[in-house]
Amino acid sequence: MFSTIIEQVINGIVTGSVYAIVAVGMTMIFGVLRAINFAHGEYYMLGTFGAWFAIDYLGLSYEASIVVAVLSTTVVAYVVGQLVMRRMVGAPAESGVLATLGIALILQNTVIFVFGGGYKFFAGGYIEPVSILGFSLAQQRIIILVVCLLVFIGLELMVTYSRLGMAMRAVSQNIQCCGVVGIDVPQVVLRTFVLGAALASLSGVLTAPVNVSVYGGMGELITFKTLPIIIMGGLGNVRGTFYAAMILGIAESLVATYIGLQFRDTVGFATLILMLMWRPHGLFSTQARF
Amino acid sequence: MSLTDTAPQARRRDLRIPLAAVLIVVALAAPLIGTRYVTHSLIIALIFMLPAHGLNLLVGYTGLLSLAQAAFFGIGAYTAGLLAVHLNTPFYVNLIAAGLVSGAIALPLGIPALRLRSTSFVMCTLGFVIIGQAISKNWISLTRGDMGLSGIPKPYFELGPLSFAISGTTSFYYLALAVCVIGTLIAWALVRSPAGRNMVAIRENETLAESLGVPTWRYKLIVFMLSAAFAGVGGCLYAHYLTVVSPLTFQMYYSTTMLIIVLGGGAGMISGTVLGSLLFVGLTEALRVAPELRMIAYGFCLLVLVFWFKKGLAPLINRFWNAIGGSK
Repeated sequence: MFSTIIEQVINGIVTGSVYAIVAVGMTMIFGVLRAINFAHGEYYMLGTFGAWFAIDYLGLSYEASIVVAVLSTTVVAYVVGQLVMRRMVGAPAESGVLATLGIALILQNTVIFVFGGGYKFFAGGYIEPVSILGFSLAQQRIIILVVCLLVFIGLELMVTYSRLGMAMRAVSQNIQCCGVVGIDVPQVVLRTFVLGAALASLSGVLTAPVNVSVYGGMGELITFKTLPIIIMGGLGNVRGTFYAAMILGIAESLVATYIGLQFRDTVGFATLILMLMWRPHGLFSTQARF
Repeated sequence: MSLTDTAPQARRRDLRIPLAAVLIVVALAAPLIGTRYVTHSLIIALIFMLPAHGLNLLVGYTGLLSLAQAAFFGIGAYTAGLLAVHLNTPFYVNLIAAGLVSGAIALPLGIPALRLRSTSFVMCTLGFVIIGQAISKNWISLTRGDMGLSGIPKPYFELGPLSFAISGTTSFYYLALAVCVIGTLIAWALVRSPAGRNMVAIRENETLAESLGVPTWRYKLIVFMLSAAFAGVGGCLYAHYLTVVSPLTFQMYYSTTMLIIVLGGGAGMISGTVLGSLLFVGLTEALRVAPELRMIAYGFCLLVLVFWFKKGLAPLINRFWNAIGGSK
């Protein structure tokens, strides 16, 4: 009984790590652009498809497919960023919703159009279980955990010390003043967006061996999972997003085991609505900013 | 002297009445001229018009961006479906009940949601749709879960000894048209009233409106409920037209379609919503000839809308309106 709970919590932490890597990109994009990116899950899908394509069509190894997937998604994100996202600076919230929904439709349906809408089998990754302290865990899940920690340590350092990180914080605090002191706001938006999309695709590739199936509509589900996380973490808050993703991952895993699998996909928004009544500005932000 | 100045202006023909006459004739004659498929597309457009009017009151006039319309649309559809299947009530009872139930459920949902700021409010309203779908999937004793409610009868009326049913596509078109005309007139009367001006005041500057004595909280809550009632009535039409209601009625795609109608047609404009629902729903129904490319084309349409028609079709409608001699 007790060990089942611990096992579910560990599974939840792995799921939370996957969500965290996707959500942190989304929350950073919100920070600089003030727009919810409804297309963010599609980059997760593109990453998975890139890796699947590299393994199935090009015959590459799983490690090489990670590189192919992240690079190809980065290229797509750069094009989308140049054509759409950097022009969204200062646009009203409604325009952001419509534009990102449009991008989501285009990306998702182009992939379905090219590769077909059916489920595909993902053949790469390390799915051998290993035993740690009496709990057996697939190697891939351990990789996900380690990568997630590295990504967040890296982001924390980047946001605090690097030029881009400082520019990002500046833009998220005051766009007008950034223009005054000579920060190229559209450029910061573009870089943040490409970084976020690359992280989402990385998350997609890492999760693919655990999920096994690959299909065109998978991005939408991830978008809906990460939306409550970024609000709960406090929009634009990197560390808060990490904690919120972990809470949600664990909650989902426990609900799926003890209440019913069919309620798993509702946990996020149900938690969100309850939380918003109590702390409308997010769990980990000291004051409401958006 | 001033009389001669305005003289050329006054001599311009006022074409509003002829235009209205043409519109009425076209609306009435459409199913007789077009094929059955055109009529079907028009019915779908009319079904989405009422929820879009409700959303327009919320987004266009009061300035609250909401994605909850699909939730209330689904509640309305299930209310009408359950009443029709279990109690066999006539159509107008279902219609009123769907509006009332959706509006009533919007009250407890709106009280916490409307306290939130912009982005959190959007997410909270999106949550209503997701949770609505989960409830409709899992409350199997009431909704029959994923199987959905099927066998909803075609709308029938019972007026004293007289009772008749609407079975054909063409006659359903006239029914939907009648409901939509009434709904449009209600929305129009509302925004032209002092209440409509107060709503615009809240959109433009909520703090200022509050300080001028507009009870902003009560207004926002009532508009939220009204928009839900509009969506519920649309849901009732949907249930009776398709004769099936499934949990897929609660999907974000419907919410975004309604948002696209409002923003694409021109937020804060009744004629924009009417035109938008014909254009964006009728058109996508017509695009079904190329199903694989349809959604890609739709996505590009959204980007075109965002970048080239920032205010939707409203400026075009205004220019047309001025050209035919209408005043504000």
